[in-house]
Amino acid sequence: MECIVQGIIETQHVEALGILLQGLCGVQKEQLRIHELCLKSVPNLGSVSSEVKILCDLVPPETTWTVRHVGGSMRGAGADQISVLVRTMVESKASKNVLRFFYALGYKLDHELLRVGFAFHFHRGAQISVTVSSINKMLKLHATDDAVPVTPGMQLVEVTAPATSENYTEVVAAMSSFCEHLAPLLHLSKPGISTGVVPTAAAAAASLMSDGGGTTL
Amino acid sequence: MMKGLTQSQPQLLQLQQEPVPSQQPAVEALNPAVQQQLNLEHVKIRATSLFKAISRILEDFDGYAGTNTTPRWQDILGQYSMVNLELFNIVDEIRKVSKAFVVHPKNVNAENSMILPVMLSSKLLPEMETDDNLKKDQLLHGLQNLPIALQIEKMKARIYTIAAACESAEKVLSETRKAYGFGARQGPTITPTLDKVQAAKIQEQEKLLRAAVNFGEGLVSRDQRQMALALPMHLADVLNVGPEMQNLVDTSGVYQKITPTQINTISAQSALLQASGVQLLARSGTNMNTPSPQQQSPQQQQQHQQQLLQPQQRPKMMSLSQHQQLLTQQQFRQSAMPGPGQLHGQPQKQQFSQAPGNHKQFQGRQLASGIGGQLGQGNLMSRNLGQTSGAANNALFNAAQTVQNTQMVPNVSATMPSQSLLPSRLQYGLSGSNPQSTHSSQLLNEKMLNMGGANQTGMLPLQQQGGSQGAFGNMQQPNAQTFQLNMVALQNNPQNHQGAFCQQRSQNQQ
Repeated sequence: MECIVQGIIETQHVEALGILLQGLCGVQKEQLRIHELCLKSVPNLGSVSSEVKILCDLVPPETTWTVRHVGGSMRGAGADQISVLVRTMVESKASKNVLRFFYALGYKLDHELLRVGFAFHFHRGAQISVTVSSINKMLKLHATDDAVPVTPGMQLVEVTAPATSENYTEVVAAMSSFCEHLAPLLHLSKPGISTGVVPTAAAAAASLMSDGGGTTL
Repeated sequence: MMKGLTQSQPQLLQLQQEPVPSQQPAVEALNPAVQQQLNLEHVKIRATSLFKAISRILEDFDGYAGTNTTPRWQDILGQYSMVNLELFNIVDEIRKVSKAFVVHPKNVNAENSMILPVMLSSKLLPEMETDDNLKKDQLLHGLQNLPIALQIEKMKARIYTIAAACESAEKVLSETRKAYGFGARQGPTITPTLDKVQAAKIQEQEKLLRAAVNFGEGLVSRDQRQMALALPMHLADVLNVGPEMQNLVDTSGVYQKITPTQINTISAQSALLQASGVQLLARSGTNMNTPSPQQQSPQQQQQHQQQLLQPQQRPKMMSLSQHQQLLTQQQFRQSAMPGPGQLHGQPQKQQFSQAPGNHKQFQGRQLASGIGGQLGQGNLMSRNLGQTSGAANNALFNAAQTVQNTQMVPNVSATMPSQSLLPSRLQYGLSGSNPQSTHSSQLLNEKMLNMGGANQTGMLPLQQQGGSQGAFGNMQQPNAQTFQLNMVALQNNPQNHQGAFCQQRSQNQQ
């Protein structure tokens, strides 16, 4: 299972967000460049159609492949009260022929996208990962070098944390408290719920940047 | 026991005397308060009474030993009980005395007698002691030489400065927080507002972005379906397209024309298959152009026929699922694969290669193509079969497919020199675009091969069933004998790798 929230931020404020995150997380930011291929099963493959994501991490030196399956999210009155989306998720590293394997199984490519940005992974109550990335689409099939952003002026911020069914309440609490720290720059919400831009974002970004980029930790 | 007791008494007496001189050599007597606490007088009294009781017992025993009389046990027991009582009294007194100096554990038994000394000791464990010393050194760095009072003063000053620094930091943080509205639940006092237009734009962008990430909408455009000429590195290894793709772009213009139109009509889910189809198409183009042995030439002619017929069939193919379309593309690849390394593919292709025909036959061939090393593709094709209706002899097809699979696998694994065989496998199974020959007939031929000259009469009815689907082409006259003749002819040509293939097949049969 994982807990996830998403938010958007204008591209002009991304650097300020990076500074804020570095101060909050205390770890170095890592480059992120992931080619995401979303495969869907054809109708006769199973009783229900399923979707699998193959992530290829393109950050050098070596490309690593990951298989990810995202399941349904928690529903109910309790789920509505939580500000974070909790959903089943299974993830595993895979060898580089995973794509061919899934094609052989009968999955077809539904869409692909390229995430370019940075990420922070740290532990604060729970193992939290924050990624700030621009989502790019590829004009030609698999042409990751010629990817253009879907929305040039806006980037996606995702905060995720793995959880189990026993400890998800603590993980949710840890994530919520962390997300509050980001309140001046952006609002985070469950995927699918749009938030809009935070009005204080510009001022907050300006103040973050005014320190000359902050001091190196 | 008595000896132990006697020994302990002189020690007790010494105890009373020793502390006096040793504790504070400068002072002659103990501090009067301590003396009172120690209650040494009482201890002395108890000790002497205990001494007397024990000596009484000893005397009695001496008497008994001297006079050789039987001791009266009641008396002795009584005296022992006296000794016991005296012992308790003295232990009590000792406890009071030594409260200031020693710890007297109440409950000592076998279990804790070993641990007690460690637990009671006030000295730290060696590691703890070194840690303690380290920390002390750190703290008192430079101060250890001074008298203790000065040390205390300096430590206090240090604490004070640190506290002051913390307070000032807190002040700065709270001031900045107020100034920028960080962490305040009510939000900043001045909230800049966005224009409505801007807000609308932003909202639109946000929708786009979220939809793209969560649902994959808006990521695919018309021209995206064209295969990138150069795959990125991470995919080049995986999809095995790379260099071959580039070779083939130039060769067969006919094929290239076909692909874009087909691609445009295919839904977004067929990207890779189309890509591989393109690859395969291109490869077959090269094969087409290579000079071929005699037996391949008629097939090349048939391929040309297929090309010509293809536009006619395109409307039909458009309606097919993507798999089928891909497979039809593959069919056109009469893979007259060069080289003996690809034995398995070719003979089958040549047998199956026919002019393009019905869907059903295409599908049938697609089924047949699920052979050996291409189990994956074979599964695709069998699925196609399942989807398509009207394909006759489904059971036969499946059976044949499995037969082919089981028999082909060992050969395939043994003779697979390069990865280029994989597409060849795709090709040979899928090709055979003879609209007139039936899938069943092809399978029958396979079966005949596999069964090693089975009863031909038994085959004929099946052939007739297949014949109902359409006319038969050259190679696949529904006549087992002619097929056998072909086989023989193939075998007669040593240069022909088909012959070798057949030989292998016959070996399989055996």
